[in-house]
Amino acid sequence: MRTSEYVKQQQPVNMAGVGFRRWAQALSKGKGSGISALLSGCRAASGLSKDSLPGPYPKTPEERAAAAKKYNMRVEDYEPYPDNGEGFGDYPKLPERSQQERDPWYQWDHPDLRRNWGEPMHWDFDMYIRNRVDTSPSPVPWSTMCKQLFGFIGFMLFMFYVGEKFPAYQPVAPKQYPFNDLYLEKGGDPEKQAEEVKHYEI
Amino acid sequence: MGAHLVRKYATETDTEPDPAKKFEFDPQFGFAERKEREMIATQEQMNLAQLPLEQRDYCAHYLLKLMKCKRDNWPNFLACKHERHDWDYCEHQDYVMRMKEYERERRLQLRKKRTEAQAQAA
Repeated sequence: MRTSEYVKQQQPVNMAGVGFRRWAQALSKGKGSGISALLSGCRAASGLSKDSLPGPYPKTPEERAAAAKKYNMRVEDYEPYPDNGEGFGDYPKLPERSQQERDPWYQWDHPDLRRNWGEPMHWDFDMYIRNRVDTSPSPVPWSTMCKQLFGFIGFMLFMFYVGEKFPAYQPVAPKQYPFNDLYLEKGGDPEKQAEEVKHYEI
Repeated sequence: MGAHLVRKYATETDTEPDPAKKFEFDPQFGFAERKEREMIATQEQMNLAQLPLEQRDYCAHYLLKLMKCKRDNWPNFLACKHERHDWDYCEHQDYVMRMKEYERERRLQLRKKRTEAQAQAA
């Protein structure tokens, strides 16, 4: 009989912690939804029924038809994700297009989401809302945009390089400063003798 | 305007002086005697006025006069036109001297090239 956690040496154990662990295990095994599940461990009738939730990958044509009906799709349109262990089950694979690409003038049931009631939702629907990822085509071909941007940046970098190689300067000698080119003011050692710098009028 | 750049990078690349490098000719060369530049403001005065290093040049005494005038006449910001003009004129003359130094160096470089060419030809 397990009255405590796995004990190597005789360590004291928090009985409340053990009780919490058992309750959490019971919850995870139970098929609950909502607050009622947290409290009692069983499902409320107001939640989705078992047959309207996503299920395993459909193998037979009947299963495919049932899954298409479940998701409100035509059997011809229904295409599940490939069954390669990623865990999509029978969820439909919808085109990877953002909501921004949909007709802005059509009277959608949810105008902001550009979606009608009952329409099957994309797996990444929350990503494809209009505030987030947008797959709409660019106004100018992508290659043109890339060429223009990188062409400009490359040209500017080249010109900066040329400016470093051949700097433009005024045809004047450097400015002359007194006191041996401000030896002390620039932090020169007062003990040491500065090298003599003389300036003349011209 | 820019003729020196054409000379430096295209036509006379070996003789045109580079202000970033030290000029190589003796300051007394070609002159009978040269007058030294006179520094009027002292180091102590410039320190007390907390002048930044770039302004501690041979015109600092005019700048110190201007600063005193401005401080005395604040808030009348139109009061120190004469002092400002004096300082500006001094800086202008300093700039003209710089231009003349550059030109002297350029002509000496050309002369050096000429004498070397003659020595070669001879």
